[in-house]
Amino acid sequence: MPSASPSTSSGRPADLVSRLASPDRGARLRALRELKNQIIGNRTKKLAYLKLGAVPAVAAVLADASDDGDGDGDGDGSCCCRRHDLLVQSAAALGSFACGVDVGVRAVVDAGALPWLRRLLVSPDEKVVDSGARSLKMIYQSKLAPKYDFLDHQNLEFLLSLLNSKNDNVTGLGASIITHSCQTSAEQWALYEAGVFQKLVDLIGGSVSQRDASLESLTAIIKNNHEVTPKILEFENGRALNLIIKFTIDKSPRTRLLACACLIAVSKTSSRYVEGIELESKLIYRLLELLEDPGQVGDEASFALSSLIEEKEDLQKLAFEANAINKLCFHLQNGLSCPKRLQGILQALANICSKLEICRSKLLDLQAFDLVSDALRHDCTDIRVAACICLRSLSRSVKNLSAGYFMNETVIIPLLQLLHDPSISVQLAALGAISNIVIDFTRRKSNFIHCGGVKLLAELSMAMDPVVRSHSLRALKNLTFLADRKCKEVVLSEITASALASLIRDPESAVQEQALALVRNLVDGCVQSVDYAFTENGIILDAIGRQLQYASKAEIGIQGMYALSNIASGSKVQKDAVMDQLFQHGGMNTQPFIMRFLHSNDNQLRTASIWVLINLTTSYCPGAAGRVLKLRNAGIILQLKSMVNDPCLDVKLRVRATLSQCMKYGDSTM
Amino acid sequence: MAQGSSKKVITKEDWEKRLNDVKIKKEDMNKLVMNFLVTEGFVDAAEKFRKESGTEPDIDLSTITDRMAVKKAVQCGNVEDAIEKVNDLNPEILDTNPQLFFHLQQQRLIELIRNGKVEEALEFAQEELAPRGEENQSFLEELERTVALLAFEDVSNCPVGDLLDMSQRLKTASEVNAAILTSQSHEKDPKLPSLLKMLVWAQNQLDEKAIYPRIKDLSTAKLEDPSAS
Repeated sequence: MPSASPSTSSGRPADLVSRLASPDRGARLRALRELKNQIIGNRTKKLAYLKLGAVPAVAAVLADASDDGDGDGDGDGSCCCRRHDLLVQSAAALGSFACGVDVGVRAVVDAGALPWLRRLLVSPDEKVVDSGARSLKMIYQSKLAPKYDFLDHQNLEFLLSLLNSKNDNVTGLGASIITHSCQTSAEQWALYEAGVFQKLVDLIGGSVSQRDASLESLTAIIKNNHEVTPKILEFENGRALNLIIKFTIDKSPRTRLLACACLIAVSKTSSRYVEGIELESKLIYRLLELLEDPGQVGDEASFALSSLIEEKEDLQKLAFEANAINKLCFHLQNGLSCPKRLQGILQALANICSKLEICRSKLLDLQAFDLVSDALRHDCTDIRVAACICLRSLSRSVKNLSAGYFMNETVIIPLLQLLHDPSISVQLAALGAISNIVIDFTRRKSNFIHCGGVKLLAELSMAMDPVVRSHSLRALKNLTFLADRKCKEVVLSEITASALASLIRDPESAVQEQALALVRNLVDGCVQSVDYAFTENGIILDAIGRQLQYASKAEIGIQGMYALSNIASGSKVQKDAVMDQLFQHGGMNTQPFIMRFLHSNDNQLRTASIWVLINLTTSYCPGAAGRVLKLRNAGIILQLKSMVNDPCLDVKLRVRATLSQCMKYGDSTM
Repeated sequence: MAQGSSKKVITKEDWEKRLNDVKIKKEDMNKLVMNFLVTEGFVDAAEKFRKESGTEPDIDLSTITDRMAVKKAVQCGNVEDAIEKVNDLNPEILDTNPQLFFHLQQQRLIELIRNGKVEEALEFAQEELAPRGEENQSFLEELERTVALLAFEDVSNCPVGDLLDMSQRLKTASEVNAAILTSQSHEKDPKLPSLLKMLVWAQNQLDEKAIYPRIKDLSTAKLEDPSAS
């Protein structure tokens, strides 16, 4: 009947919830229907009723009706019908609470409703089965659903029974469970062995909803599994693969997307099957076409494209040739209202521009750069991250770095603001972009300094998170690469020598490495730069020596030795100081670290160490004789002689150069 | 005649002869008719047709009855009733179709305004429609248009007066119908229109190559004489 009253005829929501517990079945049923009709489609009402504790109340009705068996609840003839209605309505209400609302899913699970819903699946009444299956499917579409253990035999049997059902909703539930819970390769294998994939392939030929659900589940089983994937694809001479390929040109956009996603998973796991770039090229075209869809399918298409071309230069080139950049930039320009879509587009652009200069140039030519940098200020965290990653890709363009394209305030200021962002992933992403941008070759680093960039990076180098520390040091390292004195002085004064010394001795090796690399860049260049290592009583130099004594990783040794070799290119006093560092650490019975490094298997480490020795023994610097003697006494010269035919050319040539320098100072045959 | 074109000319007699050679199965035609009746929701006709022709519908006829009840409710302006019926049929439909749900709520508001229940309409707009706009920004523009109805004294003559037309109800009804069909894994469009479109397209293609008896009026399928321009 045409009811015009907008608010509930029952009065306040709290009343409605309390009526769910009414002793009269009829009243309970009416309350359930009202509740259900209020919350379906209405997220706001769902949240409101969740707060009022509606879910446990509904779960109680479900449990009660399930238990009641043939009992006559209120002694009238329609009780069986009522019971059926109560089951259907309560299941529907629970399903609606769980639909797209994480808090709702949690409430339903916490209320212990899952076992009752499962029971509905074996009811003789088809409507009851439908109701239960739909609700469970909603729950399993959320990450918060409980994990389904496929390795348990009974669970697997139950799952198979679901997939074997004639009921669309029930098979859909089976597929949802797989999509949700199948994660490890052991699970994927277990499902394969139980013949699940065979059923899924059959279901792909079924109704639209069965087809879509099965495609998604197949993707979950195939993903990253090098054993299962070939088996599935070889099945019946490739029938499964051909079927999936067929659906990439289906009428339904969602089906096309799911089929593409499945093929992407295949391509990433087992490229043998998509050999001959043809299939991947087709996928690119399909996905670009799907971008045009205004709904969720369009949103997800950009993520799929992103995933397909990730790290694959040849595919990025194909995408470029398919006009992907134009299409993506076009969508970017259209004032997207949906954050998900914007994130996807930025991510796709980041990937397509990650390796190829033609792609980066194209994007910049299309004047889309401003849209990317605007996204740095977006409300949504994921979008800010995606924008930073996109900037990082773009700033790999040496051509544009050289032209000083990125080193301007419209880019730097928002990026630096992101270093204060509450989200660590944003900070890290911003640091990634900054690390590239500061390698500006036009020497316009003063811009960066004026915007307070050095100060911020120095602050972050003392952050709690070790990844943030090492990434900010890396950015500083890049900033000081071939930088002028003014820039270096600012860096050193902001970060301070004592802080840098402590970072060299940081508990995390990644941080140590970047700190040493920063020092290397600071002391590189003109002779005056070497002095930086001696500020505050040589605390930095001392830290280097100490750290190298204990260094176990080659990378740390490499950076440290190059830093020392730069310092050893200075005056007599400075060279002598380096000598001290080589020999003063470690006790009587410990080998000096340089000896250890000369014995290393790592070519770069040996090379770096020889550079120190070359600089220490240069003949035109006073005190050379003394240093050579000391080295000889320590057995270093002897060690070098054993390396005259080192397999690494760099090492071999430097060793010979060092030895010829040393020969001027006494008997080299000792 | 000799216009310098090399188009082949086919006489009506010749054409009809060729047409006769093409065999079309009766079952195929029956299926097309059944598909049309079912998709459009003519349940009584479908039932009768099934009895008389022995053609099985590809969908359970009882579901058509439910679907038609919903469609009719919307067409009569009983939106709340329609919503309840849809939820009984399949609670997933409105939960997973925010746009449809918004349009149904919008229709409810329109009906309240049509019936002059201004206070209730205001309350409804605030309680039910505004949250939809908050949940989903793409609805805001339509929301504003609908709420604008409340601002005018003479609603039938205002800029957004078209919302009060019957066509708006029919639009919403059609949207619901399509959503229900989709949820039942049924095609939401009948096959017959596609077939006719194919015919028109094929004729256009053939027009470039030949002069032949065309069908101008699809409803009569009369073959026009090729000499007529």
